[in-house]
Amino acid sequence: MPKQKLVSSGGIYKGKTSMWLYIFHRVTGVALFGYLLLHIISTALILLGPEIYEGAEAIYKNFYFRIAEIGLFGAVLAHAINGLRIITVDLWRKGSDYQKQLNVISLVIFIGVFVPSTYKMVVSYFDLCLEKSSPETTVTDCILRPIPDWK
Amino acid sequence: MVKTTRTDWGRRQPPLRGSSFELYAWFFMRVSGLLLVLLAVSHMFIMHVFNDTLNLDYEFVAARWDTPYWRAFDWLLLALSLLHGTNGLRLVLHDNISDQTVRKLSLSALYGTSLVFFILGTYVIVAFVSKV
Repeated sequence: MPKQKLVSSGGIYKGKTSMWLYIFHRVTGVALFGYLLLHIISTALILLGPEIYEGAEAIYKNFYFRIAEIGLFGAVLAHAINGLRIITVDLWRKGSDYQKQLNVISLVIFIGVFVPSTYKMVVSYFDLCLEKSSPETTVTDCILRPIPDWK
Repeated sequence: MVKTTRTDWGRRQPPLRGSSFELYAWFFMRVSGLLLVLLAVSHMFIMHVFNDTLNLDYEFVAARWDTPYWRAFDWLLLALSLLHGTNGLRLVLHDNISDQTVRKLSLSALYGTSLVFFILGTYVIVAFVSKV
């Protein structure tokens, strides 16, 4: 067998969980870059005055975007924690010996931060929705329709 | 048949002379990544968890940008996230597009887009004057 066939696999990342985390890091990275551009545009509208800025922000003020917002929070958090894991593997002398443990620690930290934050974001949505809407508004109304009187 | 060890992936040797750009780019991703963990994660907590984005309005931003520290914070976050993201996308495009012409075009589009958004974002943070 020629040498080339045996050893030429420099472009392939061989590892199970770590390979999926590598793909995950790229997918979340590209998605976050796309969101960053959208976020710069929507924030730039603030130069055009309160009406236009708050009109654009109003698009986000419903429960569907609250779910997307939780996804955004999760993507930032996961990308950050996985980035710290990569730095640890790269720069800690024994990092590559403890990859499985580092994967588990990363997941535990992610869940430990993500779950209470998600809880806060969901509860806060309904609290504010019921507080700012007319008295007969129900939780179902808060899920199904955007709130008309948001600023 | 050539006997090889498992760690020998047949990688190209780094050039003896030449650009160290990729080395610095690799190191930049680690340093900017560490800073972005602090900046971006605290930004997410402040804007999405401790405050509710339902309360986000013109006055909220005006009050934040009333202090030069938050403008500096936001500009640093803008610059680092754009650079970190641009370099990340540069690697993704480089790894996944083999056609040299398409690769060059997409990289040019990426750099152009990033530059425009960096200028736009910087302009917004510097030029904002509250109207209320």
